[in-house]
Amino acid sequence: MATVNNNGPNQDSNPNTNTVASAKQTIPVAKTVDTQSVLKRLQSELMALMMSGDAGISAFPEEDNIFCWKGTISGSKDTVFEGTEYKLSLSFPSDYPFKAPKVKFETTCFHPNVDLHGNICLDILQDKWSSAYDVRTILLSVQSLLGEPNTSSPLNNQAAALWGNQEEYRKMVEKLYKPIA
Amino acid sequence: METEGQNCRMGSYIYRPKKTKKVFERIRGASVIHILSHTLYFLSLYLSLYLFSDQVRVFPILERVDSAMISDSIPKASISMASSTPKNLPKKKRANRSAKVKQNKLVARRGQFISQVKNKIGCKDEANGEGGLHGGASVHPENERGQAMEKLEINPRGEEEIYGDGSPMNHYSDSESSPLNSPTSHTSSVLGSNGSGVQFTASSRSGSSSGRSSSSSSNGCCSEIMSEDDEEDDCLDDWEALADALAATEKKEEVHNPESEFDSPPEKHGIGSQSSGVVINPEIGGMAVKRDPELCRAWSPDDAFRPQSLPNLSKQYSFPLISERQLSRGGPVWGCKNVGGTVPTSCPICCEDLDCTDSSFLPCLCGFRLCLFCHKRILEQDARCPGCRKQYDRDDSIEKEATLDGGSLTIRLARSCSMITRS
Repeated sequence: MATVNNNGPNQDSNPNTNTVASAKQTIPVAKTVDTQSVLKRLQSELMALMMSGDAGISAFPEEDNIFCWKGTISGSKDTVFEGTEYKLSLSFPSDYPFKAPKVKFETTCFHPNVDLHGNICLDILQDKWSSAYDVRTILLSVQSLLGEPNTSSPLNNQAAALWGNQEEYRKMVEKLYKPIA
Repeated sequence: METEGQNCRMGSYIYRPKKTKKVFERIRGASVIHILSHTLYFLSLYLSLYLFSDQVRVFPILERVDSAMISDSIPKASISMASSTPKNLPKKKRANRSAKVKQNKLVARRGQFISQVKNKIGCKDEANGEGGLHGGASVHPENERGQAMEKLEINPRGEEEIYGDGSPMNHYSDSESSPLNSPTSHTSSVLGSNGSGVQFTASSRSGSSSGRSSSSSSNGCCSEIMSEDDEEDDCLDDWEALADALAATEKKEEVHNPESEFDSPPEKHGIGSQSSGVVINPEIGGMAVKRDPELCRAWSPDDAFRPQSLPNLSKQYSFPLISERQLSRGGPVWGCKNVGGTVPTSCPICCEDLDCTDSSFLPCLCGFRLCLFCHKRILEQDARCPGCRKQYDRDDSIEKEATLDGGSLTIRLARSCSMITRS
């Protein structure tokens, strides 16, 4: 996706140089409009998330920046992550929702698709992103990812290897789990 | 008969203030002179009866129509007497007088209406027939009652006479007399609010009765009409609230009308209590009497006399209709009026409201809708439908190029439109 993202701006810049300065004027105007539209989108998402009342997920913007949210997800029942709760950070780009937000685990998560820095390998957060997704669907997807990892392309090879032994895996989760302060 | 008149007044009056106005107008034009002559005559009769007869006697007389016949001879001689008596009455009684007068007026008007409607309505015929049978005699009972009531009553009756024509007059008088005579008649005092105008008319009439000047009587009629109009306005405000309660009573009244007078007074009490603040009701009721047969049913939407203040059901239906029209308008523009799926009110991407063009814009077979701005932006990037991740049609990619070139944009748009219609 990163490449795709880069292509977009490049395409825009090329015509600008080719045509005239008038194109340059349109760009900043478009950006301000985008910012407003992004704000509206994020506000409506927040409203929808607060009203949905989905169990096990929550998110709220940081103090002064609506482009940075803090979210929490709890491990689903009947999974090795049951009873655990994880904190995530969501950073929305200025061209959200056309680009996916950056989602990271703030809480250490022993998971095949989460590296030691909390980066998440999830298709919908990369090349499978769709502007139709929102914070709620992202958090639900991450929550479901916990119980259904993709061990074929792991970021955490140890976790991927241990996934076959759920009892041992559960012990590792409990051992490495550091509750949210 | 009497009860019918009273009952009818209450209910009908509330329902159709406008009709009452029309009736008044008719009365003015057609029978003013006739009414005036009658009023003078009746006033004299009432005064004489009042002077000679004890109230105790009057009540039983009122109850019985036959008794009314007896009183006929009395009034003529006592005309001079009557004129003097009303002047002597104390102010306290004025309120009651005015109320009574109003009732009488209403009754008379009602009677006129009934007579007019007679031919049309069978039910009314019965009541009218009684009045017609009694003829002048029936008038007398009214006089008796009025005498029994008070001197003031005489004036109102005079008004009744003015408005009423022969038989209808009798009905009015009966209805009036019954309320007045019965203990419940005091409830009529509620009408006092109207009283001011009515009293004035009454005084003028009394003077006219003594002098028998037609001009004075005519003035009285005008003043009465004016007061009635004012009352009607008031009634318009309250009539809706009263309508439901009155409807039931009216039906009962109509049924009982042919029966004894006794039924009517209690009904009036009930009505008076209901109307309470709505003093106007009794007068209107008188007007409405002719309507009674029709009144059994509520306003019909196409009724010409239906108050405009009533909620109009058709208006309520108009809203959804309008919305449908708007949607249909949007459809034809794109030629895809009935595209399946529910149309979201706002773009799921930018959360902006979808206008008619956007809501009729279906870029992908999956049915995912978005606004044209977001669609264009997506086309400039990966050109995948947010709903299904499928590439938008090649037409779209071509369109994108076209937009960049700024050349054959319109042609491309035409293609996209055709695509939409397919979907």
